[in-house]
Amino acid sequence: MKWFFLQWFLVFSFYSVGILPAVAQEIGQSLDSLEVRPSLVNPRLSLPTQLTQVHVISPGEYFAPPLVADIPDDRFGDMVRMGRNIFVNTGVYAERYAGNGLNCSSCHLQEGRKPHGIPLWAAYGRYPMYRHKTRTVVTLEERIQDCFIYSMDGIAPTLDAPEMKALVTYTKWLSKGAPVGVDLPGRGLPNVSRTQDLDPKRGKIVYETHCELCHGKDGKGKKHINGEGYMFPPLWGRDSYNKGSGLQRVRTLAKFIKGNMPLGASFSLSNQESLDVAIYIWLQERPRNPKMSWAMDFFFPNIVR
Amino acid sequence: MEPGSNIKRSLVTDLSNISGWVIVSAVLIALFFIVFQLVSPFSSVASLEVHRLAGKQLALGGRADIPACASCHGLQGQGNEKTAIPRLAGLHPDYIKKQLEDYARSPLKTRAAVEPIARDYIKTPRTYGDLTVFTPGIRQHSSMNKLARMLSAEDRHNLAVYYSELTFVAAPKAYDFETLERGEDLALRGKPEYGLPACDSCHGPRGQGFGAIFPPLVGQPVAYIIAQINHWQTGKRDNDHLALMRNVADQLTDGDKVNVAAYYDNLSYSVNRE
Repeated sequence: MKWFFLQWFLVFSFYSVGILPAVAQEIGQSLDSLEVRPSLVNPRLSLPTQLTQVHVISPGEYFAPPLVADIPDDRFGDMVRMGRNIFVNTGVYAERYAGNGLNCSSCHLQEGRKPHGIPLWAAYGRYPMYRHKTRTVVTLEERIQDCFIYSMDGIAPTLDAPEMKALVTYTKWLSKGAPVGVDLPGRGLPNVSRTQDLDPKRGKIVYETHCELCHGKDGKGKKHINGEGYMFPPLWGRDSYNKGSGLQRVRTLAKFIKGNMPLGASFSLSNQESLDVAIYIWLQERPRNPKMSWAMDFFFPNIVR
Repeated sequence: MEPGSNIKRSLVTDLSNISGWVIVSAVLIALFFIVFQLVSPFSSVASLEVHRLAGKQLALGGRADIPACASCHGLQGQGNEKTAIPRLAGLHPDYIKKQLEDYARSPLKTRAAVEPIARDYIKTPRTYGDLTVFTPGIRQHSSMNKLARMLSAEDRHNLAVYYSELTFVAAPKAYDFETLERGEDLALRGKPEYGLPACDSCHGPRGQGFGAIFPPLVGQPVAYIIAQINHWQTGKRDNDHLALMRNVADQLTDGDKVNVAAYYDNLSYSVNRE
């Protein structure tokens, strides 16, 4: 008995020092060689049957929003600046309405300017519009309220709240010169065709290959160095969008991923990869839909709206 | 029953006796745990100091055939603006280590290892037919390639520890208003219609760097930043994750490089300053 405890004491004391194995690992690592392995994701360019469409960037085709430096120096310009502040730093400038760690610009990429990244300039001229989700005609303000309720998992600002006015003003300024009532190129998200063949296991591999670097192994994103707000937004967990939001629909999320992710390499994932990783993300934990009861959320956590 | 046999039996089978031993031993183990938890941070600090001093010796004094790092990178690791030599002070240690490894790696002498299951996916995948090649990446430089091959793994670790703990205070330089305005637009918003993300979306707010993967842009010489983007474009540098920087560099014009480097050169920045 005595020797048994002595043995474990030695083992534990060695590991509780902690530095010895760590240093050995640090110093012992050698140069890794070129690694060639069979691909676990579907091959892209092997057989003619598996050829995929390659997206061609044609910058001239998209609407060009005005520069931030050109915001006018008057009361209107102040409202635009406030709207932009709320848009890129929602947790600070609209603290009383934001419920999670996301900003507006987490989904409306590059301050609402990126084509195929839900740009604001393409949306402004289309509202008021009929929305299938609510089965009514909604105005831009009502749509922004839904963003706060679902995607921001927070509280909807009233129609006359200064934050709401600022956001609408910013949207209006950003779409200066855009035609009204027209589907502009780069509007919303790119199309991803339906498929019945979704596999979260393949999606996990795609996640680890392409997403984990920034969004983290646990999908909880990464915070800024000073601990305030997120550098890379969380994809699931308490600080992410809730189950009532648009990105909780698998195909919508796949569209977003295909058109925008990884950052700087839009349209690099195929439809199948986007859908696989979308259903992998769909299966994770996130805040409940506020329009659904606690009991429903507990017993049917992933019920489709 | 004799009294002696009774005592013997109680020694063997009495549970209270054994549980007493267990309790005493558990308390002892817990005590040692607490003691070592108190001691271990100090000892790790001490070992870090050993690595730092070894790195300092190599960086400032060099070795037999290795010239001192400080002869080019500066005594404070601050880099050199005129010769496009980067600042090393205050960079993430893992970043410094990775760059030295990539400098040391010979693109001609790599060994191919075929594995049925991929271990880490973080490297740049390049798909050829039904094979995905995860290249470790290389950096080509006339003198750094030779120097990095002379360093051992321990040397790289020591240098990384030493340089990551150095103090650096940037001296912001003045530029004309238009350059800064365009540089800021690129740094904060990128070029959305070209699919180019903002620099700050990965390199952190004000280009201060984020973790071991995304190095700081602020505080680096302008000439170094422009030279590196040129290297990404020509393929002399190839050690990014997920081909992120290669995609970004492909979208940058010569004017963009100058503007954005000037924007970061204009920002105030300090690291490791008490």
